[in-house]
Amino acid sequence: MRRRECIASVAAATLWAVRPATAARVDRLQVGLTPVILADQIAFLSRWGRYLGAQVGVEVHFVARESYQSILDLLWSGHVDAAWICGYPFVRFEADLNLLAVPLYQGDPLYQAYLIRSTGAPEGLRGWGDLKDRVLAYSDPLSNSGWLVAQAQLANVGIAPRELKRAFFAHGHRNVAEAVAARLAHAGSIDGYVWETMRLQGMPAVAKTEVIWKSEPFAFPPLVTARRATHPHMERLRAALLGMANDPVGRELLGSLNLSGFSAGASSQFDSIRRQAALVPGSGVTG
Amino acid sequence: MLGRLPYRVQIPLGLSLAVLIAAILVTGITARVSTQNARQEILSLLDRAVVLVIAQVRPMMVADDTWRVFALLRDTAELVPGAATGQARLAILDAEGRVFAASDPAKLETGRGLLGKPWRDQPTPTPSEIIDRQRLDQGDGSVVMVDPIRSEDGQTLGFVLTEVDAAVFAPDWPSLAKTALLAIALAVALLVPVGWWVGQRMTRPVGRLVAVIERIGREDPSKLRGAVPATKDPELSRIGDAVSQLMGELEQRKLAEDRALSAERLAAVGRMTAAVAHEINNPLAGLLTATQTLRLHGRSDDIRTRTLDLLDRGLQQIRTTVAALLPQARMDDRPLEPGDLEDIVTLVRVSASKLQVEIRFRVDVDSALRVPSAPLRQVMLNLLLNAMKAAGEHGVVSARLEADETQVTFCVTNSGPPLSAEKFRSTLAAESGRDPRGFGLWVCQELASHHGGRFELDTTQPGQTRLVFQVPNREAPEETT
Repeated sequence: MRRRECIASVAAATLWAVRPATAARVDRLQVGLTPVILADQIAFLSRWGRYLGAQVGVEVHFVARESYQSILDLLWSGHVDAAWICGYPFVRFEADLNLLAVPLYQGDPLYQAYLIRSTGAPEGLRGWGDLKDRVLAYSDPLSNSGWLVAQAQLANVGIAPRELKRAFFAHGHRNVAEAVAARLAHAGSIDGYVWETMRLQGMPAVAKTEVIWKSEPFAFPPLVTARRATHPHMERLRAALLGMANDPVGRELLGSLNLSGFSAGASSQFDSIRRQAALVPGSGVTG
Repeated sequence: MLGRLPYRVQIPLGLSLAVLIAAILVTGITARVSTQNARQEILSLLDRAVVLVIAQVRPMMVADDTWRVFALLRDTAELVPGAATGQARLAILDAEGRVFAASDPAKLETGRGLLGKPWRDQPTPTPSEIIDRQRLDQGDGSVVMVDPIRSEDGQTLGFVLTEVDAAVFAPDWPSLAKTALLAIALAVALLVPVGWWVGQRMTRPVGRLVAVIERIGREDPSKLRGAVPATKDPELSRIGDAVSQLMGELEQRKLAEDRALSAERLAAVGRMTAAVAHEINNPLAGLLTATQTLRLHGRSDDIRTRTLDLLDRGLQQIRTTVAALLPQARMDDRPLEPGDLEDIVTLVRVSASKLQVEIRFRVDVDSALRVPSAPLRQVMLNLLLNAMKAAGEHGVVSARLEADETQVTFCVTNSGPPLSAEKFRSTLAAESGRDPRGFGLWVCQELASHHGGRFELDTTQPGQTRLVFQVPNREAPEETT
């Protein structure tokens, strides 16, 4: 390598390293994923990224984190241009977020939260009211189905969180299912869509759990963007998502996601979550 | 049972059995040692797993992150023998001794208090009592270990509880048995044939020695000596030398026997020849005298006739004596006649005159004589000649031939020194084969015995020697062969 080229390469690398965190590249779109979906399927995400990239005209990459807060941090810092988060953080941080799209699950932008227990668990665990002195697994502090719903239901049945024997966050809905299956927890608060998708894929953890309670329908976890920094190709990304159900490749990818499509969505769809959060102390959402 | 088998089978079989027993023993000892080593390896592996867990789990406990602790234990338990089959488990206990998370939550329930409470019917130390590792060896062989987890400043954050059931330490008998069977099968397949071959090789010289010994007595020892196997083994070499020596001695003994037999035959031939010569020689002097008489007085018809008769009878006697040596020849013999004694006296008178011995004889025959003439003439001749010798010069010899219906007796008495009964017996015995000079008495005894009679010394008349030859008077001459 020539000396001049070598110096140029080192200089380019140095400039990349010291560039501002918020200076996201416009020739690629980065989408953050949370455990609202089964996001650790690298081959699928790669195919989906190539599909969306072809539709949008720029590269589309997915960035997965097991913590909702991590993805939000990436979104605030501009490292991701969009994020698939949950309805609860959407209503909590709605002032700083724009709704990009709302997935359609079984044709509707709705899902349910489940309370699950391990199969063959001790008798007497049939619902929220039986969780006193039991171990409960949550998904994430910013998950609607994995925390907020549980807080509301425990309050509803008159059980204070400290009356549980123990409660812990499993960092993802899938881990909740596995914790309950392994009997690390007596029960788990989980996203119904994730549990059903796991069941569809024949995951062993689901076979060892059973649903003992289902919530009312809530708005499906949405894809959002940061309100103050929108990627120039964001609208094309939205169009690509909304158009997935219209072509075979998109439908095949949606099938892998156990979804039927994407809708534009509306903030009002999240009112039920908003109301629920307002009832939970410390939710960060006020009426 | 082994003792009933041939020696040449016992040795190879014994070697093969020794190989088999050695293989089984070595396999057994190896299995025992490997079992002990396996227990040490499991405990050592547990130590490393605990060290790994303690290093990893501190921040998770500080963050109160049950799931991550569970995931750590679940992954670490993959390294612990028996965890996959539910026979070993790891748990993190909080500072109060309650289960924070366990690799097998079904058995160690989350939130369950353990320390300070009975565990498997045994008391466990309280959290404050645990300074260092506590190892609780259960009676059934299972192991429970409790290791404290401390922060950098020495604060106890919790404990690692490790429990391994006894079954994990139990030997894997099917696997060991498979290995043992493989080892034994290899030993049987490889070493037993080698042992058998070595045993066969060891016993081969013994077998050849046995074969040689079995042929002793049936084959020539000089040939057998070459068949004795040569071996470097000192013991077998000594046996081989002993067998060779034995065969040499047998060979020498056989040669000696052959020589002895040859000598005995020669001696027998010699004795026979001497006896025949003696019997022929006895009448010869008389016959020669007769020819002299014939030459001098042959003109007289009477003398010539009597002399020729004498010659005829003497020659007939010689012929009969020679014929006795021919087993197949059958000789015709005439019966004894009273004149035969006179013939014999005439034949010996020449010798008697040389010794100046007086011969007196008497014949008392009251019955027909039915005994063969040749043996009786021989007896009379022998006894008269012996008596003349015994009487010595100027001695007197008296002979008497008696016969009645049952007995024919010939007695000879001489005036010489009396013969004792002992001397008579010893003379007969000495003449029986070793003294070729005087066969007279021995031949008389033999003839008496042959004709069913007796020949003995009459000891009733002291001061003289009287020999009595007596045979039954009943044998027809034609019966004599």
